[in-house]
Amino acid sequence: MTQTVMKIDDLHLSFPVSRSLLDVVQRKPGKSVNALNGVSLELKQGETLGVVGESGCGKSTLARCIVRLYAPTSGQIHFEDENIFGAAARKDRSYNRRVQMMFQDPYSSLNPRMSTGDILAEALRVHQMRPESEIAARVAELLELVRLPQDAADKLPHEFSGGQRQRIAIARALAVEPEVLIADELVSALDVSVQAQVVNLLLELQDRLNLTILFVAHDLRLVRHVSNRVAVIYLGRIVEIGDSETLFSAPSHPYSQALLSAAPSLDPDDKGAAIQLEGELPSPLNVPSGCPFHVRCRHVTAQCRTVVPVLRVLEGRGEVACHLAEEVNQHA
Amino acid sequence: MTDHPILEVENLCTTFSRGGTALPAVRDVSFALGKGQVQGLVGESGSGKSVTLRSILGLARHYGEVSGSVRWQGQELTTMSERQLRKIRGREIAMIFQEPMTSLNPLLTVGTQIKETLTAHTDLGRRARRDRAIEMLDHVGIPAAATRLEEYPHQFSGGMRQRVMIAIALAASPKLLLADEPTTALDVTIQAQILDLILKLADEMSMGVVLVTHDLGVVAQTCDTVSVMYAGRVVEQGAVRQVLRTPRHPYTEGLMRSVPQDVPPRTQLYSVPGTPPSLFSLPEGCAFAPRCQAAGPACQTARPTLQDIAPGRQTACFHPLPATQEDAA
Repeated sequence: MTQTVMKIDDLHLSFPVSRSLLDVVQRKPGKSVNALNGVSLELKQGETLGVVGESGCGKSTLARCIVRLYAPTSGQIHFEDENIFGAAARKDRSYNRRVQMMFQDPYSSLNPRMSTGDILAEALRVHQMRPESEIAARVAELLELVRLPQDAADKLPHEFSGGQRQRIAIARALAVEPEVLIADELVSALDVSVQAQVVNLLLELQDRLNLTILFVAHDLRLVRHVSNRVAVIYLGRIVEIGDSETLFSAPSHPYSQALLSAAPSLDPDDKGAAIQLEGELPSPLNVPSGCPFHVRCRHVTAQCRTVVPVLRVLEGRGEVACHLAEEVNQHA
Repeated sequence: MTDHPILEVENLCTTFSRGGTALPAVRDVSFALGKGQVQGLVGESGSGKSVTLRSILGLARHYGEVSGSVRWQGQELTTMSERQLRKIRGREIAMIFQEPMTSLNPLLTVGTQIKETLTAHTDLGRRARRDRAIEMLDHVGIPAAATRLEEYPHQFSGGMRQRVMIAIALAASPKLLLADEPTTALDVTIQAQILDLILKLADEMSMGVVLVTHDLGVVAQTCDTVSVMYAGRVVEQGAVRQVLRTPRHPYTEGLMRSVPQDVPPRTQLYSVPGTPPSLFSLPEGCAFAPRCQAAGPACQTARPTLQDIAPGRQTACFHPLPATQEDAA
C-alpha cells in the first residue's frame, strides 16, 4: 500500500455574495455561493489523481484550497499528518515549497516584465534553494529539464508560444523541488498537437522525480490518459471516485455516465449512443436539496429529493454517491 | 447528395497587412456545399478557419484584402456591395459566433434582439414578430419562452445564451448557417445538446451548415465533409469518414494521433514536434515541412497543391500516406 501524502477531510467553502441595497431594505438574508460542499479525498504518494467536472462545479476551488489560496469555511487538509491551516503550519513556509500549483492561462500567469531566467531565479531565491553562486547553473538545468533552449533564459514571456510558456510554468514549479504538483487545466489553453508534447513532458518528469500530481481538467480523454485514479465532482461534491480505467470503462454514477458519453467520439460511426442530459448545472447559489444531481437525473426517486447520498464502496467499482447505484448498474 | 451546390468557394484568399508586411491568413481555400449538408473546417488556432468563415460573409473585407470567388446560389458575394450583402446576411446566410457572452447586446432584452432580425428581414407585423420570437425560443429549447423574452442576456446561462444566438440566427429561416466554434466555450454536456439542436434544425429546414471547430470529435459526430486547415491552407479534404479513418496528409494523422483515445494510459502520446509557423515567417515550401517526418528535399522548396487522390477526396502533400482498402472501395 502506498503512503498517503495528503488527506482532505469534509472540506466546505462558501463565498458570501454582497447584498444589494434592495436586499438590505427588504431584510433578506445574505446569500452565499457554496463552492465546496464536503469534499474528502486522499492523495497517495506518486499517483496522479484526475479531477473532472463541468465549469462551476468547484474543481478549481478545490485546487486553490490545497495550495492555501483560499481558506475553507470548515473541514481540514492534512499534509503528512499536519493540518495545513493550523497555526504551526501557517508559520512554516515549507508547505508552500513542497506543494506547487500550475495555472491554466499561460498568458497571464507569468510576469510579462521578467525574463524566464529571472522568473526561475526568483523562485530559487525566495525558498533559498541554492546559494547565489549556483543559481545560474540551476536555471540552465531547469530549462534543460523542460526542454527549452538555453537562450530562453534571457527572453521575456511574450517571445514564447503557449506551449513553451506552460513549460516555463512547469520549470518554475519544479525549481523549488516540490513533492506535490497541482495542475489546474494545465493544457486546456493549448492546441491539440502541442497539448500532447506538454502532457508527455509531465508524465516523464513525474516518473523521474517521483511527483504526486492532482490533475484538474475538463478534457475527459486527457484525464483518462494521465490519471491513476479519477474523482468526478458535481456541485462541490464528489459523486464518484475510483481507479481511472474502471471508472472510464464502466462509470457507476448516472452523472459520470452522462458526462463520459457526452464527450464526442472520434469515430464517425459511433453516433447516437450518448445519454442526453436535461438542463444545466444548477447555480451554486441554491444547491438542490437531497442529491444535487436529482434535477437532471433520469433515475430520480422521492428519496433522492430529500436525502443526500454519501460516498460508499460499490463492489468491483470505486466509491459512488448514489442511492440507486446498484439498480442503475444492474444492466450495465 | 450534391446535386446542386448552394455555396461554392473557390480559391478564396484573405490577406492582412501589418506594418507593411502582407500576412497570408487564408490561401486558396475551395469547397462546395450542398443543400442540408454539414461541412467542417478544422485546424489549430491561427490556421485561418475563422477568417475563411468571415471572408465568405464579407466581414473580413473591412480589415483585409479578399480575393477569389464565393458563389451563393449563383450570386458572387466577394464583389457584391455592402448594401446588397446586408440583404443576404441574416436572411439567407446567418452566422453564430464563439462567445455567447459577448455577442449579445447586454442592454437589450432577448426578445428585442430576436425581433430586430425579423424587422430587418421579414415583413411580419408587430404581433407576428412577437409570436415568431416565442416560437423560435421554443424551438431552440428554452422553457417558458414568453416570459424569457422580456429578460436580458445576463439572466441566461452560457448554454442558454448560445441557444438565444441560434434563435436569432435562425429567426429569418436562412438557407446557410455559418457557425464559428459554437460550442467551444461550453461544457461537454451542454455541447452535446447544442450540436444536436443545430443538426436537428439543419435537417428540418434543409439548411446547409459550415462548422468551424478545433475539436476532431465534434467533426466526427456532426459533419458530412471536412477540410483540414494548416497555416491558412487546406491540406486535406473529403468525406468525414474517410478523412478521419484513413488520413492521407501527415498533419491530419498527427492531429488524430495526438488525441488520447485508444492508447494505453500513461504512455507517451504521439505528438507533432514543434509549433505551427507564424504568418510572418512562413516556410518557403510546404508550411508543414519543418514538423513533418515524411518531408523530403522537394517539400523544403516547393509548395504542394491540393490534388485529387480519390473521388471527392483531396490532399496537398508530395508524400501522402498510403491508402487503405477501405479508402479505395
